Amino acid sequence: MSDIVSIIQRVLGDVDLVLGWTATGAGGVAAPARFQTAAEAERAVFNATCVHNLAVHLPRLKDQTVGIVAKGCDSRSVAQLIQEREIDRDRVKVIGVRGLGGSIDVRKIWRFHGYGVPVDARTDSLFIDGKEVDRQEFLRQKCLGCRDMDPVIYDELFEASGSSITGIADAATVETALSETGLGTSLTAAEAMSAAGEDESRPLGELFAKMNSAERRLFWREQYSRCIRCYACREACPMCFCRDVCIMQTTDPHWTGAGVDAGEAEMMQLIRVNHLAGRCTGCGECERACPVGIPLMLLMNKQNQVIEELFGYRAGTDLEARPPLLTFDIKGDSRSEK
Amino acid sequence: MKFLAGENIPELLEKLSLLSEVWAPRELRGSGGTVMFERWRSGDPLDLEHFASLSAKDMVLPRTEKLFGFSYAFGGAAVGNPFGAPAESAGGIPATAGESIRITAAEPAGNVVLFGARACDAKALTVLDALFDQTDGKGYNDPQYRARRAGLTVITLACVTSDPACFCSSFENGTAEKAGSDLILYPVDGGFLAEAVTPKGETVIESGVNSRNKVGSARGPGDSDPETGEAASGLTLFEESALETPVLAVTAKVEGLEGLRQKLAAIFDDLEFWQAETEKCISCGYCTYACPTCHCFNIHDEMRGDREGVRLRSWDACMFHLYTQETSGHNPRPTLAHRYRNRINHKFSYYPENQGEILCTGCGRCIRGCPVGLDIRDVLRQAVECSASPGEGGDR
Repeated sequence: MSDIVSIIQRVLGDVDLVLGWTATGAGGVAAPARFQTAAEAERAVFNATCVHNLAVHLPRLKDQTVGIVAKGCDSRSVAQLIQEREIDRDRVKVIGVRGLGGSIDVRKIWRFHGYGVPVDARTDSLFIDGKEVDRQEFLRQKCLGCRDMDPVIYDELFEASGSSITGIADAATVETALSETGLGTSLTAAEAMSAAGEDESRPLGELFAKMNSAERRLFWREQYSRCIRCYACREACPMCFCRDVCIMQTTDPHWTGAGVDAGEAEMMQLIRVNHLAGRCTGCGECERACPVGIPLMLLMNKQNQVIEELFGYRAGTDLEARPPLLTFDIKGDSRSEK
Repeated sequence: MKFLAGENIPELLEKLSLLSEVWAPRELRGSGGTVMFERWRSGDPLDLEHFASLSAKDMVLPRTEKLFGFSYAFGGAAVGNPFGAPAESAGGIPATAGESIRITAAEPAGNVVLFGARACDAKALTVLDALFDQTDGKGYNDPQYRARRAGLTVITLACVTSDPACFCSSFENGTAEKAGSDLILYPVDGGFLAEAVTPKGETVIESGVNSRNKVGSARGPGDSDPETGEAASGLTLFEESALETPVLAVTAKVEGLEGLRQKLAAIFDDLEFWQAETEKCISCGYCTYACPTCHCFNIHDEMRGDREGVRLRSWDACMFHLYTQETSGHNPRPTLAHRYRNRINHKFSYYPENQGEILCTGCGRCIRGCPVGLDIRDVLRQAVECSASPGEGGDR
């Protein structure tokens, strides 16, 4: 078994640069970094605070050959980018991380223990300010229902030897929670939200699932009302690679208003969600980057679930698959009208 | 100084909200712990412990504001309609000869009390004043900004604690900064000591007239002034106090900011430096939107149908590709490195040069909330270091 530094150094023999992490990010946790030489790669680390999906950089580095350290979930973004021919398989070397055991929600730690508290987030244990705590408690929500422990594609494998995630069995994830259509309850959006406030470990999706459509509307109005149109969700998304030609900012035609209110924000998010239909790999970077904490993954997970039901397709899990909504097939099998 | 019991804050805010909108920090429901300045209404909770994710700049520079409304008025039938169709269906045709444009002013901004700002938030307002509230030609006389600013009362919560992202002590007064605040509340046992900095702040204290009998109200330990029991009887929420103001927090200091302008000028063309500093940046723009001093905006017209609309001003960010995109297609800041270089230079070089103020108050929001852990202090330190060793810097 190799450590991450020597794997990156080995891959640097084949590529211009490798995307990985150093331990020197703000707040004392891991931050993304690029390594171009073996000496630079000495600084590379891998721990459970390596939450970032580095695939977001790939469309911006098309003129170079790139190595990328990718967790199971991140590898799906790499695969989907290849499927969409946004990047070239031959120009990417994937260092897949296997058996991570989930990454840590550092913001949650900061919230309860103060920003910048010393965190030692190993793949099998978690220490906050020198004291060991229950790692499970601070796992990212999305990791609790992980179906992507093994990377989809890889050229090199890094064994993270992480602890197992006990949350998988009961699968208390938004994805499953959303499958219970809970029409007809008397739970109002406000009640659901305050319930969420009382018990933070309870997934928002579970509460959301109990709301009827009017309550959901109220819920989303409240969420969207705080959107500041900063587009961090878009910029953090590996699949939002349109950059300067994004529909959100075109003025001719003027698809979305540039004003900042709940209605415009709703329009913007629904367009974004739809543009990611069958493309979103569920990495959660949009939600993580949102400065005002809008639970965007509720939308994404719901849509991903519908796509899976309708087309049996999970984005970025099969290099050979044709993404269903990127295919115009006039005589396709999915069409009953020939 | 005056003492305000912590338990009396809701009552004070209620009194203030009779005459003004009150904005205060609170944790947003279902947001995973995000704290923001929100419109306060009776009964709303407050979060005075955590630092707000976004600054309070939208008190003076809203995310979106209507500058004015406009509509085309018809001078005569079918004038300016080359297609001869009914005027209502003439798609997007601008006013031409014979038509006039009617402008309707935006509604005037009302009074606002901002409660629970920090010294860095308040100071930022004076930094913005240097650009938007000027009549001497050095900046702009922005009527909407000035109206909001004139109607704003800032009640600042002095910082007795800080976190590692704070770096206000890099600047002149640090946590003791009073500029921009009208009233400062210093946390003490059981409540706050209130110091009025401006006449507006004195008005707040005067408005704290108590309608209830306060005898026997809970007081913090150590506050045993025998006069207070009587003084508090039915007069004011603010009582005389002999308590000492607490020791304020000392935050991180970035060294070498003096003369940073020259240092930044020395590495301006060192694009490799800027590339290295921004390699992990995803240009999400969070830093600019959360910043209390970033003030870039865009102006655009929102049409309702073809004949009327509103002109809006909304926040914009220099970290976006489109920000400097020209009509020709040319972009003078084509890469992230160019854009970030501009951001740093604007804050620490151009703005000080033009407006006499550093465009940063050390609030640390851009550090705390950055999704990729980019720390502006590291960039500044590197800039100082890099420019200090020209031989090495030149090689980059």
